Amino acid sequence: MKPASVEEAWAALDERGRAAKPIGGGIDAVLYATPETTAVVDLSGVGLTYVREEDGLAIGATTTFTEIVESPLAREHLGGILIEVLEKVASPLQRNLGTIGGTLGSAHPWSDVIPLLLALDAALVVYDGRERRLPLTEYLAGRARGERPLITEVRLPAPPKASSCTFEGFSATGFDVAVLNCACFVALEAGRCAAVRIAVGGTPALAVRMPAVEKSLIGASLDEEAIDRAAALTGEAIDARDDRRATAAYRRVLACVGASRCLRRAVEKLGGTG
Amino acid sequence: MTITLTINGRRTTATIEPGERLSDLLRREGFMGVKIGCRAGDCGACAVLLDGRAVNSCLVFAAKADGAEVVTVEGLEREGRLHPVQEAFLDEGGIQCGYCTPGMVISAVDLLSRNPDPTEGEIRRALSGNLCRCTGYVKQIRAVQRAAAAMKGGGTDA
Repeated sequence: MKPASVEEAWAALDERGRAAKPIGGGIDAVLYATPETTAVVDLSGVGLTYVREEDGLAIGATTTFTEIVESPLAREHLGGILIEVLEKVASPLQRNLGTIGGTLGSAHPWSDVIPLLLALDAALVVYDGRERRLPLTEYLAGRARGERPLITEVRLPAPPKASSCTFEGFSATGFDVAVLNCACFVALEAGRCAAVRIAVGGTPALAVRMPAVEKSLIGASLDEEAIDRAAALTGEAIDARDDRRATAAYRRVLACVGASRCLRRAVEKLGGTG
Repeated sequence: MTITLTINGRRTTATIEPGERLSDLLRREGFMGVKIGCRAGDCGACAVLLDGRAVNSCLVFAAKADGAEVVTVEGLEREGRLHPVQEAFLDEGGIQCGYCTPGMVISAVDLLSRNPDPTEGEIRRALSGNLCRCTGYVKQIRAVQRAAAAMKGGGTDA
């Protein structure tokens, strides 16, 4: 069914419970179809396709990756990090179909988008009978408990002046999903780290922030030594496990290299720490 | 359920099964240019233009195409003349075994409709969701360059 409003979409979902799935492009509903899903609620008529400036960026849930990449506003946000990452997600044919809301709703552990959005301190506007705004971290925690509010918008806060964001993904081929990925956000004040967010995904678990590593960097000068230390700490901090893509030990090395590259490039983008 | 969509300029009403994919519907309607390679969105052989953008039709529920405009490779010719991208694929020998060609052509048409003068890198990226399993990509890339030059010379509506 194709509802015309968020309220209508929610009513259709709520009535059917697990039997109904909301879809943007619908890729995952096709690929991971299960017998329990007997209805899909197509959100493309709800009016959630947009990229707007609103204390940062507001991206409608049904906006495709291609539409985000082609948005001048997205290009301006934090040196175009959204473009850098999203234009490499899947293939052009899939980016014309896949939406930001869909990728968050599926929350695949290998997602490159989720660690990036965690580093960007994203919040989601969701609806489950009432509209509310949730930090992405809280949405993901709720999701793990089985909560499925309808995602209507992604909000990215306006970044402070001297800040930058970087991403590193490791995969077997350019088209394959990540063996591990890492995203960092850094804000400097007077040469010292005023804010930092590091998210690592595909461990193979879903991306999470690295609070202990972040804490160790606050107030520090982000020189080679501090970065090396933080990178080593990231390698130890991740919930690394073996799967068919890689061993836990290899993932710890990748996390260390990923964090090191991300932090170095983030500092470089800001003209170095001195 | 019954849906109405436009396929290659013709309004079509079709009865579809729940969960049916657009790629299967299009082949059932006789558009065999929509190739089924992987049914997983990896190979791009089933690419069609959905409301003007190239997508894997195997990843789209047929129901989602209700009210949409779909163009398959069969819909690119005009008055018996092939689209410049199709001409260029012939001229450059980019057809090869032919299986991936419809999808490649659709991706190239989408690219050139938005970027009439792409660099080689942009062409490679635009075709990166279309896999050739028989020969390679050099001739297709040349074909897209040739088509871009031809389309700049004489106007055509993609």
